[in-house]
Amino acid sequence: MNASVRIGARSLLAHRRRLVGTVLSIVLGVAFLTGTMVLGDTLRANFDTLFADANAGTDAVVRSADAIADPGVPGGVRAPLDDALTAKLRAVPGVGAAEGSVQGAGQLIGADGRPIGGQGPPTWAGNWITDPKLNPYRLAEGRAPAAPGEAVINRGAARTGKLHVGDTTVLRTPDPVRITVVGIATFGADADGMGPSTFTALTLADAQAHLTPRGSGQVSTVRLRSDSLSQRQLVERVRPLLPSGVEALTGADATAQSTADVSGRFLGLFTTLLLVFAGIALLVATFTIHNTFAIVTAQRTRENALLRALGASRRQVLGTTLGEALAIGLLASALGLLGGFGVAAGLKALFAAIGFTLPTGGTVIKAATVVLPLLVGTLVAAGSALAPALRAARTAPLAALRDAAVDEAASGRSALLRGALGALLVAGGLPAVIVGATRGPSLVLTVGGALALLLGTVVLGPVAAATAVRVLGAPLARLRGVTGALARRNAARNPGRTAATASALMVGVAVVTLFTVFGASVQATLDDTVSRSFAGDLAVTAPAAGAGGSGVSPKLAPALAALPEVRAAAGLGRGVAQVDGHGKQLDVANPGQLAQVTDLGRVDGSLADLGADGLAVSRTEAAARGWQLGTVVPMRFADGPAAFTVRALYRGGGVTGDYLISRQAWQPHRVQDSDGLVAVALRPGVSLAAGKAAIARVADAYGNPQVQTRAEYAESSASGVDMMLSVVYALLALAVLIALLGIANTLTLAVHERIRELGLLRAVGQTRAQLRAMVRWESVLVAAFGTAGGLALGALLGWALTRAADSAGTGSFALPAGRLAIVALVGLAAGALAGLRPAARAARLDILRAVAAA
Amino acid sequence: MSAAARVEKAVKEYGVGDTRVRALDEVSVEFAAARFTAVMGPSGSGKSTLMHCAAGLDTLSDGRAWLGDTELSALGDRELTLLRRERIGFVFQAFNLVPTLTVRENITLPLDLGGAAPDPAWLDTLIEVVGLRDRLHHRPSQLSGGQQQRVAVARALAGRPQVVFADEPTGNLDSRSGGEVLGLLRSAVDTMHQSVVMVTHDPAAAAYADTVLFLADGRLVDTMREPTAERVLDRMKAFDGRRTRAGAR
Repeated sequence: MNASVRIGARSLLAHRRRLVGTVLSIVLGVAFLTGTMVLGDTLRANFDTLFADANAGTDAVVRSADAIADPGVPGGVRAPLDDALTAKLRAVPGVGAAEGSVQGAGQLIGADGRPIGGQGPPTWAGNWITDPKLNPYRLAEGRAPAAPGEAVINRGAARTGKLHVGDTTVLRTPDPVRITVVGIATFGADADGMGPSTFTALTLADAQAHLTPRGSGQVSTVRLRSDSLSQRQLVERVRPLLPSGVEALTGADATAQSTADVSGRFLGLFTTLLLVFAGIALLVATFTIHNTFAIVTAQRTRENALLRALGASRRQVLGTTLGEALAIGLLASALGLLGGFGVAAGLKALFAAIGFTLPTGGTVIKAATVVLPLLVGTLVAAGSALAPALRAARTAPLAALRDAAVDEAASGRSALLRGALGALLVAGGLPAVIVGATRGPSLVLTVGGALALLLGTVVLGPVAAATAVRVLGAPLARLRGVTGALARRNAARNPGRTAATASALMVGVAVVTLFTVFGASVQATLDDTVSRSFAGDLAVTAPAAGAGGSGVSPKLAPALAALPEVRAAAGLGRGVAQVDGHGKQLDVANPGQLAQVTDLGRVDGSLADLGADGLAVSRTEAAARGWQLGTVVPMRFADGPAAFTVRALYRGGGVTGDYLISRQAWQPHRVQDSDGLVAVALRPGVSLAAGKAAIARVADAYGNPQVQTRAEYAESSASGVDMMLSVVYALLALAVLIALLGIANTLTLAVHERIRELGLLRAVGQTRAQLRAMVRWESVLVAAFGTAGGLALGALLGWALTRAADSAGTGSFALPAGRLAIVALVGLAAGALAGLRPAARAARLDILRAVAAA
Repeated sequence: MSAAARVEKAVKEYGVGDTRVRALDEVSVEFAAARFTAVMGPSGSGKSTLMHCAAGLDTLSDGRAWLGDTELSALGDRELTLLRRERIGFVFQAFNLVPTLTVRENITLPLDLGGAAPDPAWLDTLIEVVGLRDRLHHRPSQLSGGQQQRVAVARALAGRPQVVFADEPTGNLDSRSGGEVLGLLRSAVDTMHQSVVMVTHDPAAAAYADTVLFLADGRLVDTMREPTAERVLDRMKAFDGRRTRAGAR
């Protein structure tokens, strides 16, 4: 065997225990990365299977060609077709079957009166397609709907809502429709549903009445199949017969498009988010690994010097150290890869636990998912070890003859250089962050500045560590006497190492802090939004179509307005149109009523005059696009283009978005009408409780939407932030864990190299308990340094992100003191925890052997 | 008689300004081939520095050093490394062996580093001479100090180097183990015609050598042939005496 390889392999085996921390941090990081990729692949494949199953018997789909991009609806919104087309296509030679398919949002109410689903996965309603090959659903129980009011629901929805054949319930379309369950269906042969989504199938006439704008004679798509023609031939055959603005595509293409829509939007965002966190975990791991190798190499100075004296070339010493890192990286990455499959399952469970169900299905592992994490893990290990390995290669042969001091700080010159570089990075990063956040705001400048700042902080760490540890440890010396003083001195004796160890925790804590601050600010902004612009007393809401529900019936607002307790009630609907080539959400409302329950600030022009072709725009959006009162704006709806005139300008950033049109104007363009919010103002003298009770009585008949006071509404609109934060915390826990492994590892190594010193302390009378406390307090000090740095950096970056993301300038900033205090406490407690094992090991040492150790 | 190694007007200075120390002050020395040369002198006399510079572990501030016909100051790091690997053997006072390698692997280490296959017969002879045949697969930590140092000698001899440099090889050993190691070096000179240079402060160790060079204050002050422990001790006492007088003045 090659000598370098042998020496590397031997020292790997000999120092197994020291490398446990390194291996673990790579394992965790790689496992996370793998888990993310597996989850992404699996979800993509599952969605692909779902859509393929949904289109299994369909050879061609005919639909409106124009789609208006809607952030809430994958694939965008399309205008419905005339049902007469179905019969025409059915008559085409070669077409085996043609059926109109109506599809819209429809949320079922369960036996307990609570809505089923509505937390992400869509709740569909449509018609029961009678051709069994075109219909992806199979009856498991009961029969198909034949009469008005009859419905088939999917088995998953039936289970969740405890609904059985023969039960009657309400379907929110969002107008409440009373239905009788006559059948329960599986998706394909045996699935409970199309993923976690729910589906309610009505008769075609019912579906048209409730889910299409005209109420009859319209379908969303026409599905075709042929026994004699290929999919492509079928499409070619029907294409000449289609009216303009209508397209035909093969079943396979439809499947691919649906998958791409979901992948591109939801999955893309989802996996990118997870990859970012995997990246953070790996970044933290890099610090830990680098530190371990730096220390191990320093401890092996004499061994490397001996090799150099005996004629090992620099390259051989470099190769030995790097080879060791590569081997560790490869081994740990392989372990991480295995762990990653578990992580994928864990992540899925995590999302399920917070009420965000993902489609189930077999795990999919692609070649890239195996190769990439292996490569990344190995490179991270080798890259982190590069600098220590280069240092090892530069070892002077004479160092073998000296009693090399392994625990010494960097020389004055390199410290100066480091200080200058760090100061430069901070000096460049800080203004960039501040300018990027306040002027502009420019996300690019802010992010660039943030990265420079982070890097600068890491570079400056060793320069600041000695002072910081002395300051942070000042109370320790007073409280814990000589033990505390020694712990403080130990933490400060090698500032470079302390800083490198703390850096890992700092990055973790900084990201946690950043999200905490950002989340709190978003919550505060939402809170402010409601308190500033919601002038009503009560809010009636249901999850909107984009959020997996079907919204509130537009008929509810007029019904509530008629109540004697109510002064005014206005529904706020959601529309979508293309402006300047981009899909924009429109708020649809009765402007006169809206003004009574919301505060739109100063209004230029007149909301009452919107009419059928008028547009109200927020002042910031109008300014950004250079519009004024009277500007004619060409807009494009699902059913075609229309010109609107800007008739009013209002203060944005409230419960209403940037665009507002009247119900009258939206009427011709709508596909399925629903309100996201009904704002209610009570008459003077009516108590909140009485008003709420009166409204709930009426709302009950409209599919039981939620009735909330203003405060409750503000709270619930901010509750999504808490959900996001809990996911982020769970994902960041891993990075923090890796950082703690790093602290524990560094301490273990430090104890190992200070063994004679520790033995001496014991020999002159330090008790085991004192020794343990000394090591533990050193750990806490290092953690305190990292936590303090992380809190400061995270708070600053959180502020910058909040400002930079707030292009309208209407957001709020909040520094949640309570939560940040918890973060600080967790950081310190974790430091104490990390010190436990090294402290225990140090306390076990045999005094005589420790003093005699070479 | 040709020299295995020599230095000419060797100067070595450490530090700058007021803290400058002249460890070697224009020393010219020859280490004879196939002879056992001991270098002695009080602490700070420059004896270790002389050896380090002659062995290519350290570079001279001025003057020249040769190993055979090769001038060391002309060599870069890579050539020096190869020179150490192929033409020089080392025995240090302590930390002589790579702790993770077995005895056998430690002995063949310089050869392995160069990718050369050890000559089995030669290796066998060495193992026989150092008397560690039953310990070949042990780790250094399982050996006594004397055994470890014998392994180090075997390693130094394994590549049949031009010169073996030994830096206080018995400094950490008791007299019996020390005697064994010195006997090994002596027999390497006598039976294998190996050139050995040894730095020591122990007169008894110096007595194993053919020639003893005395250094003081960075200069060569005396040379003694056919030394005995008593004569060396007397010579060393002269240094102490002189130093004492100088201190009293």
